Amino acid sequence: MAILRTAFSGDRGDLFLLALKTSALTLVTFGLYRFWAKTRLRRWYWSSVRPGGTPLEYTGTPWEKLTGFLFAIVLLAIVLTLANLVGILTVIDLMETMPEAYMGALVSLPAVIFPLWFFARYRARRYILSRTRWRGIRFGMEPAAWGYAWRACMYWVLNICTLGLTWPLLTFQLEKYLTDRTWFGNARFTQHGSFLRLYGPLLPFLFCVWGGIALWGYFIYANGGGEAAFNAFQLNEVWALIGGLVTIPLAALFGIYYRVASIRVMADLKTLGDGIEFDLYPRTRKILKIYFFGWWKTYIAAGFVSNVVFGAVLGVLWLTGNFTPDMAVNPPINVAIAIGVLTYLMLMLMAQTFRQTFITYPLVEHIAQSAEIHQPAFLGSIRQRDEDSRGDAGGFADALDAGAAF
Amino acid sequence: MSGYVEHIRNEAFAAKLALTYSEFFDGISPVKQRVSLRISDNALEIKNVETMQVTRWPLKSIREVPDLSDKAAVIFAGDNEDPARLVIREAEALQTLVESGAPLHRLRGPRGQLRRLGVMGVIAAACFGGLLFGLVPWFANAAAERIPAEAEIAMGQELFNQIYVGTGSSVCTAPDGVAALETMQARLTSGADLPLPLTLRVVRNGTVNATALPGGQVTIHSALIEAAESPDEVAAVLAHEIGHVAHRDGTRGQLRAMGSYGLIGLLFGDVFGFSAAAGVTGAVLDASYTRDAEARADAFAHEMLETADVSPAALGTFFERLAAAEGDMDLGLLRHLSTHPETLERIEAARHAGEVSAATGTILSDGEWASLRTICSIDGSGGALDGEIPPDGGKL
Repeated sequence: MAILRTAFSGDRGDLFLLALKTSALTLVTFGLYRFWAKTRLRRWYWSSVRPGGTPLEYTGTPWEKLTGFLFAIVLLAIVLTLANLVGILTVIDLMETMPEAYMGALVSLPAVIFPLWFFARYRARRYILSRTRWRGIRFGMEPAAWGYAWRACMYWVLNICTLGLTWPLLTFQLEKYLTDRTWFGNARFTQHGSFLRLYGPLLPFLFCVWGGIALWGYFIYANGGGEAAFNAFQLNEVWALIGGLVTIPLAALFGIYYRVASIRVMADLKTLGDGIEFDLYPRTRKILKIYFFGWWKTYIAAGFVSNVVFGAVLGVLWLTGNFTPDMAVNPPINVAIAIGVLTYLMLMLMAQTFRQTFITYPLVEHIAQSAEIHQPAFLGSIRQRDEDSRGDAGGFADALDAGAAF
Repeated sequence: MSGYVEHIRNEAFAAKLALTYSEFFDGISPVKQRVSLRISDNALEIKNVETMQVTRWPLKSIREVPDLSDKAAVIFAGDNEDPARLVIREAEALQTLVESGAPLHRLRGPRGQLRRLGVMGVIAAACFGGLLFGLVPWFANAAAERIPAEAEIAMGQELFNQIYVGTGSSVCTAPDGVAALETMQARLTSGADLPLPLTLRVVRNGTVNATALPGGQVTIHSALIEAAESPDEVAAVLAHEIGHVAHRDGTRGQLRAMGSYGLIGLLFGDVFGFSAAAGVTGAVLDASYTRDAEARADAFAHEMLETADVSPAALGTFFERLAAAEGDMDLGLLRHLSTHPETLERIEAARHAGEVSAATGTILSDGEWASLRTICSIDGSGGALDGEIPPDGGKL
């Protein structure tokens, strides 16, 4: 048997109940239960992804997540406060010389957080891998979050400055940085290939963005250049329509295609240990379909359930004589506020629950089922690795909201 | 009861189990092992059918891996720390293992997690307390003392534009009204030693309130003038706001808000958009900062009113009327003040200051008071305030 295929098991109804229960508890505990909710959902998803028939196992605990979160917010609070205090001194300074910069300085204070976001993502990935096991063997990742953070910042600045020309460099180098530091037991993953391989899938995006810019430049040139031409461009409805309604959504679509395709290309070029290889076949069309219909289904279902529950509550109030038709026409202010808040919370709860069932579930299913492991015979030489230290247990990502779907 | 019955039970179980095969991962290598299972001496014996190597798991320490999505296979661990896993797929084997007397608790994380959480909780509470109640207010106070006047005035002007001009509350400029306001200001502040020149304005705004922004920017809302029944009540509120200017409370407050920017938000995460909860916490925190500042500004106002020959009792009278009128009026900030016990204390303090006061005058003549009440009419040539308040705040 030269190939281990990945099965996906797990019943959508079970997931719905689990997501409903954990989301409701998160809501009534003002977010505190989210550490438990996250843990339980991860356990469920991990156990439904089964490479070679053996499920993954997630061994993270809610207690370490809560501890890690507190650790993270203590450090972030100190950093943020110091940045704020430096900000105050700067603002006082600016006030004397250029008061109009005041709001700008105020708004840019939280920008200190930006590099931390990449740092948090690396740490979160490291934590999740260190709590993932397959066939009893731990995954792991080397501690290199700061190296990742500054590289990510540099590549992003470069990418924005070159309007997407260096996007493959960003994708490949960051993925390589992550992959080359990832371990399964005592075996290391390696990312082969080069960023040049990613220009193929990026071509439609580049064509769209740079084509749009070229058209823009040509138009300004044809109108004699200068500010007048620029204004004429903005005022011309047909051009604005082409620019706004065609180029931007098309660029977004091609951007998504590139992201999915780049995952596919790079998965083919990864190896583990002595020569285990991988295949991953996520399809852009399928993923777009999941997202597009998933959001619709999520909000229609959430809206429907919220209304049913809302109607039931009003019905009970009406039957018990606490509600009169008059109140529906002209509700007292506190009743109106209570109804507004409850509707919002109910909608959030339902959206959270249905998002799991209509988006995350099919997404994990699609990606898992497309994964293959080649040359599994080499697994025999792999041995266990030591448990990673606790660290912040994903707390930075939680505090900075840098987590992914899980 | 480790006697004969137990022995028989285990024997019977072992006979059944010995027929079933399961998957075993020893926690050392990812290679799947085929094993047979049997019970002996209150332990589960896991025997590799190829190498005949035996692993023993005491029954009472066996743990079940929780939240599995696939009900066709159940996974067990030897104990909480052991990375080895046993995958049982056959219902019969599972049934007998469940009946064997093994407690089969859910797999939990390693020991000591609760203690670590407790320690971290104490550290976090100390840190946030130290920042929010120690470092930030200290820094804001120190910076407020040293900030150059131009910077303070520019900051206040920026905030005024943001809070009032940006939200459509225009400045009232009817000439007679402005003159009356200037008279009131002059009578109150004559002889007073203020760190900054005052910039006093009335804006069209339907909430009963007045503010003291950084840089001596004092703003009275039109609805407050409307709610007052005598010029002395307006003067009392104005004196209170001038007290905030004298103590630079607006600057302190603004610097404190900048220093603690984002700290409360950190506590709540963002799962359900709990920023509303963060906002409420921030407001409560702010109220706790300002309690002393309010009392100080009140004391300042009592003195200032006394000097201007106006009874300090006017401040209490105004608060009392607001408390009584609550429900009919949009009270804004004063609504929550009027329900707080501190407000009762403030009314009491004002009444007491009034009792010992020798002041008998009023701050404005009847004519001047009538002019002040028309400060927000567009041409200043009469017309009640009521019609001039913009629709968003037109509740009065």
